[in-house]
Amino acid sequence: MTSRFLALAAFAVAPLAAQRSVTDRLSGHLPAPVVSAVATIADSALARSLPVDPLVNKAIEGGAKGVPGDRVIAAVSTVFHQMADAATALASGGIKSPDGETVEAGAFALSAGLSAANVAGLAHASGEPRAAPALRVAGALAALGVPTRDAVSLVTETLADGGSADDIGALPARVEANMAHGASPAAAAAAAAHGGVRGSPSTPRRPSRGDHGRKP
Amino acid sequence: MAGEPVAVRDLSDGDVVRAVMAGDAERYAALVRKYRDRYARYATRLLGSVDAGEDAVQDALIRAYEQLAQCRDPDNFAGWFFLILRNRCFAERRRKRREGPLEGAEVPAAPDRSESDLERGEQRRALEASLLRLTAEQREVFVLKHVEELSYEEIAARTGASVPSLKMRMHRAYDRLRELLEDHQ
Amino acid sequence: MTAFHPLVKRLLDGELTLGELPAELRAEGQAALRILAAVDRSPVRLPEALDARVMAQVRRRRASAGSLWRWMAAPRVPVWAAGALAAAAAVLVLVVSRPGASAPPAASVATAPESVFVKFVLYAPDAKRVSVAGTFNAWDASAAPLARAGSSGVWTATLALPVGQHQYAFIVDGQRWIADPAAPAVDDGFGRRNSVLSVSRNGVRTL
Repeated sequence: MTSRFLALAAFAVAPLAAQRSVTDRLSGHLPAPVVSAVATIADSALARSLPVDPLVNKAIEGGAKGVPGDRVIAAVSTVFHQMADAATALASGGIKSPDGETVEAGAFALSAGLSAANVAGLAHASGEPRAAPALRVAGALAALGVPTRDAVSLVTETLADGGSADDIGALPARVEANMAHGASPAAAAAAAAHGGVRGSPSTPRRPSRGDHGRKP
Repeated sequence: MAGEPVAVRDLSDGDVVRAVMAGDAERYAALVRKYRDRYARYATRLLGSVDAGEDAVQDALIRAYEQLAQCRDPDNFAGWFFLILRNRCFAERRRKRREGPLEGAEVPAAPDRSESDLERGEQRRALEASLLRLTAEQREVFVLKHVEELSYEEIAARTGASVPSLKMRMHRAYDRLRELLEDHQ
Repeated sequence: MTAFHPLVKRLLDGELTLGELPAELRAEGQAALRILAAVDRSPVRLPEALDARVMAQVRRRRASAGSLWRWMAAPRVPVWAAGALAAAAAVLVLVVSRPGASAPPAASVATAPESVFVKFVLYAPDAKRVSVAGTFNAWDASAAPLARAGSSGVWTATLALPVGQHQYAFIVDGQRWIADPAAPAVDDGFGRRNSVLSVSRNGVRTL
């Protein structure tokens, strides 16, 4: 009976403790009303088993950048909704109880332009252990300018080939290497999918040798 | 720790790249000197003539300077420059293929003296002529493996291709070379 | 088309010796090796005049580049991994990417580190102060100042970053937040952009 009481008590105070912790972490960074609003959003996150750190970090970032309070609250709210959407998408992709890292990776992927269906598809293709790197990398590829459909299929193909988290993690560098040689993001991703580093056919031709000076 | 510059004894490629990007363009000469010859054999063998190899290296060095801001890892300038040169060589191969066959290309050969040298020289020229008739990808893997004497793993690291696909390319090249050299005799 | 026997191809690849081939394949193996004997590995030296031609173009391009160079940043450079958290960090292991036979290592990485040293570099000749802030230091604009490297206008700082994905920006003169011009970036939710950096145990990627 006592242990049951303690468990209930612990359950009851958890959000309060978390709220205080959020308040403590934000005090000094932001005005009190903003801190209070963020703490409320953090409570909602806890109630849905979403991670709180990304919300706190976004609020601190806003404070550091001198952003007005209402914009800080709006940005934190956006992160909350992206995490909630990511959790829903992960669940429909078969990951019912994702850890905080996976939810954050899903939210990052959404913020980089992937759709909820993309996130669900990647969750399904990767399974939980590889979901976080798969989502982060797909988001990163989108941030590089790779069309989201191509970004998702590049990661999905690598997963289907039995690629490890390291293999997935290597994809952006391969795409970047191709882009550094003039390939468009889409062409760079297509070349990376075939294991090569190629210039795109659209790579501008260098001027002829005459432009560089003739050899004697 | 923050703010402490990393101590260096000699200027590494990365230091040179950063200095050039910081506006000290003259320092680029150090990279030109260093890489002028390092990849000259690769470009020459891939394109079939010293002249074409020289053009490719020269163009690639200028192009690398123009794109230096995109060199994400200045300490690996060598690997990044290799990819630029490689693209330049492949583009040149495509252009030549459009313009006509490569059989007329100058084939570099060491001066031959004795009769056995003559024979060796003839074999060498036959192989060079046959290499020019491989696909650019087959020729490249042959050059990197048997001229530059890199392992498949090293070639994979340089080019981004997987070891199995490199082996497949190389094995097709062996068969094609056999066929071409038999025709040559 | 006459194809070599697969074992002969392995001979050519250097994975087998002639003696390891079955007797009936040795003649084919010997013929195949004659192909490799004809390979020309003599070095190719290009004329030194090439240097002058390239540098003439470099000077020409520099003269016309103008302000393009102004805010150019070298991206974060992996320096070595060590760890602040790992006792084994004292033992540094070179992880060598071999673009050329005698090329320098791309990055030096310690065994199983929990954090990796990353060098941030920004070219900002007119700046009085530069720092870098991001998810790794709670966006504290004063936590990680960059030091001016000589009089070249280049600012650098080396930080130990935990393995994982980070977002960051440079702060110039305490007030201008700028994303790394050479790195991919994402919307920061406040109308600006954050640069993205991934730190893995194998080193640093720009994403």
